[in-house]
Amino acid sequence: MLTGQITSAIIGVALAGAILFLVRRDHLHGPYALWWFAVAAATFALGVFPALIAWLARVTGIGYAPVLPIVVGLSLVLIRMLKLDIDRSKQERQIRRLTQKLAILEQELDRLGGRRSPEPADDDGH
Amino acid sequence: MPPLSSAPPVPAIAPTPTEAGACLAIMPARDEAATVGAVVEGVRRTLGCAVLVVDDASGDATADAARAAGATVLTLPLGLGAWGATQAGIRYARRHGFQHAITLDADGQHLPESLPLLLNAKDATGANVVIGTCTGRLSRAKRIAWQYLRFLTGLKLNDFTSGLRLYDVHAIEVLAGQEASLLDYQDVGVLMLLSRSGLRIAETPVEMVPRRTGHSRVFASWPVVARYMMHTTVLCLAQIDAGRRRAAGAARAC
Repeated sequence: MLTGQITSAIIGVALAGAILFLVRRDHLHGPYALWWFAVAAATFALGVFPALIAWLARVTGIGYAPVLPIVVGLSLVLIRMLKLDIDRSKQERQIRRLTQKLAILEQELDRLGGRRSPEPADDDGH
Repeated sequence: MPPLSSAPPVPAIAPTPTEAGACLAIMPARDEAATVGAVVEGVRRTLGCAVLVVDDASGDATADAARAAGATVLTLPLGLGAWGATQAGIRYARRHGFQHAITLDADGQHLPESLPLLLNAKDATGANVVIGTCTGRLSRAKRIAWQYLRFLTGLKLNDFTSGLRLYDVHAIEVLAGQEASLLDYQDVGVLMLLSRSGLRIAETPVEMVPRRTGHSRVFASWPVVARYMMHTTVLCLAQIDAGRRRAAGAARAC
């Protein structure tokens, strides 16, 4: 039979450990690593010292303490998702422009080098 | 093939020299091998200008058919959709110093004979952009949609989605930019960007042929129309009143 504190400590430590492992193995790129490092630190602290939550709720004036990590966590997830879509849009723009530039440069290459059209395409036969 | 190091130095950029006022016809094409050749020949016969077919990752012989008919071909390695392909052509026009770009569909919907009308309208109105507007009777869905878009954008236009357009060198400069790269159709977003950049848009009525193959991307069915209108509404909300602000600004300037 586990006490609530041990359960939360196990979850917190496991999550923080998994994130740290991934950050250290270079699976996450710069700014993402920093974000997840902060998340790992927070889960570790709140998991091992749940009293922190009660203290934070008192400070912020929230009547029902357990709701605090849920609200904060959800907000952070939403912010993270928003940032994700912003990044994706930026990458989509870059991919489109790269694709266009590639086609233009390929045409110029053909024109400068003389088209080898009678031969089968030898560069990318997809 | 000689090793790269011994190849003669290539000039920084080697655009084809184009005389002042030169015009480029841009045709985005996806799987249009059946019609693209005839359209290219028609345009070359009518205008005598260079024709660029942007092959939007077709699965058929669109590129070969276009080349055989005398067009220059850009082949996109990834499908970018109608606007992405058109923008590739516009960036090509900018890079090679063309003064005008005319866009038309490769499916034979737009008649090459109507292209001089666009140039005439440009000379008559002095506008930066001329839209060839279909003169045929509009369906009820389209009439409602256009009314709504006129209200939303403040642009006083009769046809928002026509792909038959003439852009001058200023419009080419605007549309080749980063800001135009996340648009999906050559329609409201493009027009609002042009209007916001202070360019003038005119329309001229032209005859169009009902599509022989394929069908309208926008007006395919009610759910598609609904999605398109929602998408466009969100796009417009970000910059509501672009047209009206522009009109007010022009009025003040007078």
